[in-house]
Amino acid sequence: MNGRCVRELVRKEFLQLFRDRRNRPLLIVAPLLQLILFGYVVTTDVRETRLAVVDESRTPLSRSLIEAFAASPAFRLQASAADARSLEEDLLQRRVDLGIHIASDFAVRLTARRPAEVQLLFDGSLSHLTSQRAAAAQAVIEDWNRRLLSLGSEPRSPAGGGIEGRIRTWYNPNLESRPYFVPGIVAFLVMLLSLLFTSLAIVREKEAGTMEQLIVTPLRPVEFLLGKTIPFFLVAQGQMVLVIGFARAWFEVPLAGSAVFLFAASGLFLVCTLGVGLWISTVSRTQQQAVLTTFLFLVPFFLLSGFVFPIERMPLLVRAAARLNPLAHFLVIVRGVFLKGVGPTVLWPSCLALAGIGAIVFGAALLKFRKRPG
Amino acid sequence: MRARCIRAVARKEMIHLLRDPRSLALAFLIPLLLVLLFGYALSLDVEELAAAVVDRDCSPESRDLIRRIDASRAFAVRAELETDTALSRAIDAGRVSVGWVVPAGWGAALRAGRPAPLQVLIDGSDPNTGSQARAFAAALIERLNAERRGGRHAGVPPAVEARIRIWFNENLESRTFIVPGILAVILMIAGALLASTAIAREAESGTLETLRMLPLTAGELTAGKALPYVAVAWIDVLAAAVLAWGVFGIAPRAGIAGFLLASFLYILVAVGTGLLLSALAGSQLVATQLAILATYLPSLLLSDFVFPRQNMPSALQALSALVPATYFIDLLNGFYLRGIPASGLWPSFLVLFGMAVALAAGCVWAVRREGF
Amino acid sequence: MAEAVAVRGLSKRFGRFTAVDGIDLTVQEGEIFGFLGPNGAGKSTTIRMLCGILKPSGGCGRVAGLDLFRDAERIKRRIGYLSQQFSLYDDLTPYENLRLFLGIYRVAPSLWAERIEEAVASVGLRPDLHRIVRGLPPGARQRLALACALLHRPRLLFLDEPTSGVDPLARRAFWEFIGGLTRQGISAFVSTHHLEEADRCGRVALMHEGRIVACGPPRRLVAEVLPERPEAGLEDAFAILLRGRAA
Repeated sequence: MNGRCVRELVRKEFLQLFRDRRNRPLLIVAPLLQLILFGYVVTTDVRETRLAVVDESRTPLSRSLIEAFAASPAFRLQASAADARSLEEDLLQRRVDLGIHIASDFAVRLTARRPAEVQLLFDGSLSHLTSQRAAAAQAVIEDWNRRLLSLGSEPRSPAGGGIEGRIRTWYNPNLESRPYFVPGIVAFLVMLLSLLFTSLAIVREKEAGTMEQLIVTPLRPVEFLLGKTIPFFLVAQGQMVLVIGFARAWFEVPLAGSAVFLFAASGLFLVCTLGVGLWISTVSRTQQQAVLTTFLFLVPFFLLSGFVFPIERMPLLVRAAARLNPLAHFLVIVRGVFLKGVGPTVLWPSCLALAGIGAIVFGAALLKFRKRPG
Repeated sequence: MRARCIRAVARKEMIHLLRDPRSLALAFLIPLLLVLLFGYALSLDVEELAAAVVDRDCSPESRDLIRRIDASRAFAVRAELETDTALSRAIDAGRVSVGWVVPAGWGAALRAGRPAPLQVLIDGSDPNTGSQARAFAAALIERLNAERRGGRHAGVPPAVEARIRIWFNENLESRTFIVPGILAVILMIAGALLASTAIAREAESGTLETLRMLPLTAGELTAGKALPYVAVAWIDVLAAAVLAWGVFGIAPRAGIAGFLLASFLYILVAVGTGLLLSALAGSQLVATQLAILATYLPSLLLSDFVFPRQNMPSALQALSALVPATYFIDLLNGFYLRGIPASGLWPSFLVLFGMAVALAAGCVWAVRREGF
Repeated sequence: MAEAVAVRGLSKRFGRFTAVDGIDLTVQEGEIFGFLGPNGAGKSTTIRMLCGILKPSGGCGRVAGLDLFRDAERIKRRIGYLSQQFSLYDDLTPYENLRLFLGIYRVAPSLWAERIEEAVASVGLRPDLHRIVRGLPPGARQRLALACALLHRPRLLFLDEPTSGVDPLARRAFWEFIGGLTRQGISAFVSTHHLEEADRCGRVALMHEGRIVACGPPRRLVAEVLPERPEAGLEDAFAILLRGRAA
């Protein structure tokens, strides 16, 4: 292998990449725009649950319960429905996510020290949100109960006994979506761009006929592949810095762990994605095919990565498939470094997996490339 | 509009499609993959979350607690650890997401009627899993306490009890809606992404010049180009719907006819978008990139599909009103979950119909601009 | 090294199809060798084998003094190749293209300035050296491609239909340039469709259906096939040769 030869190829690739005016927005603006879009949209926080109330009691007590809901950040009082029928209609027309029905005997029962019932009617379409919303509603009611009891004549005895749950949440104590999803978006974007650019890079040479010229030179396959991948490796690492910097500045996502380790690991990850990109470019004849094939890979990579859908809840066979997915391993690393602040001592299995996948994919691309009879 | 001309263009386009196995694979493989994955493999619901326990008490009460944790739907006890350090290492490495720590003397305190603190550690990095886990843990403790109180009958304090009822998706399974909802994404891939190359390809290879010489009107060319892609997308709808029903038992609760009509309108919108981009972009590469950016991502992110609209900033909410998938998702939700007949959903139908008409006109205009 | 190319019984089969069927070829040092034949005759396959891109199915021989089977990779360092479409990077400048090929051909960096100067002077690219190739006329692009193919000073040049799409004046200049090269002892192996160009070759070979039908100096070939018509050209001779094969 000849270093000078690789260096000239890298130089040429950079010249081509930055000379094409259409590439510049794709390299810088597109990742940032997508980061903003994903960053705002991808969230599983319970906020702004639209709420409608039928208050048949119309007492200070019932109004105080409604106010407790309105004050919670998880709920937004959308409307007061006139009766149970119109409440159900609101739910059916997707105007609200939750309907609360307070019966007319609500205050009477409470003052008589009998338990009063409040009916909560949830739209269960988005099941994961519904269970969180139900929990949030329970919390509002329990909170209100406690206030009522401490104000009332019969305070709960401190020696009441029973199990006291001291629940502590680690890493993301307020259970916010952004610290979890934004690092994932960074990983996904870097994958998308590095796959797309590499898979197009070789196909473009085939279409332009320059491949034919290169084949009759003493250029070795390894040198060619290195010349093709080193520029995209550097560009992708640059994008990584850009996107992480932007994520921290715009979304104020903290980085708990070591940035140096993160970049080392992203190097391993890029070896995998560049290898896949190269492989795609060896099996594609046209840029069109390369883009479509890239897409064919991206969808399962995205879904089976744990980005939104946790891997541990997948069936055994799918979980095994997810283990071959470089994005899945890199997400473990990115989230580990961002949220948990852990380093190589904890994350080495994921790094090892990335290195293994990278070596296999890159090797396969090299073999496939070498076998082509010109 | 002459039917014979349209048929000729459509036949030619169909042959292109059939001769490119990779595009066809994209049209059929990805939809099947998505339906199966979402039906079988992908879920946002918390079930059998990996838990570890540290039992420093080893009393009958603590053993009973651990059995109860394991028996619950939310948690599965995967490990019994000796120390807090081992627990925190297990959570750090992501082997378990929840840790229960029972301190020494816990059972005795419980028997004596004193407060018996129990520590629960939750990996909150994934806020969805974390908050569901927290709610389930609190509910489990609440239930145990209620049972103990019930046994000793210590006078129930007057309080409000929430009676929760879930509508539309009673068992709270994410697949009930995600499987039909994914149609909105599939059809954008099959319709828009495939069709996005249809006109640009001819512009690149110069065959558009040949077509221009033929006695073919812009309307005929557009209709002929659209037909095969509409057919492919239509097959996708049927395949996905049959798969959802046959394999997962998910079927519309009302209005099969309405569902089919809605799918048809949405397909027209998807193919129309693809053709319009194709005519405007000029090159296949640009057309495909635009199609991904303008159809796939918004259908997934901005359509009220998995990520609720009301959580978005207002600028994105406004943008989401322009996304066809938003209305299709509303219709799908109506047919599959809420069981509303088509007549009750006319606003969304109207918007989709308007979009389809506008896009058809836009395509004819763009093709005419190319010299037809 | 008296012979630039010397192969015997060279053949290439793709599955059941025989593209090249045991041909013998020799090209002398300093000779322009014309390689003619209809499309699909096996010309490109032959050139690809001689360049070391394609492994022959049978035969033996040497190209640029190296064994075709054992030294295929090293052959690439001793030959230059100019393809039909002048396949260079059209979003780079001529200077950037030259630099890239200097690197690929492993020319020592101390020689780069000198080689670039030499190439620019010999093909006359000076005014266009720092303009993007896409905007240059076909003639200039062809000269640049030629300059790139000569950077590493090969002794043997393969030219695959080098003059397609070039205007007659530029074509004439091109052939004069090739003539100048052969006077320095460089051999040129040219495939072409333009029969009037074949007259500029020292010898030509006519290939048809994988075999060499005729080989020799152009004038002598015409005289052998059409002894009674001294005014006849190569075209007439080839028409008869190919018709004879078909019959």
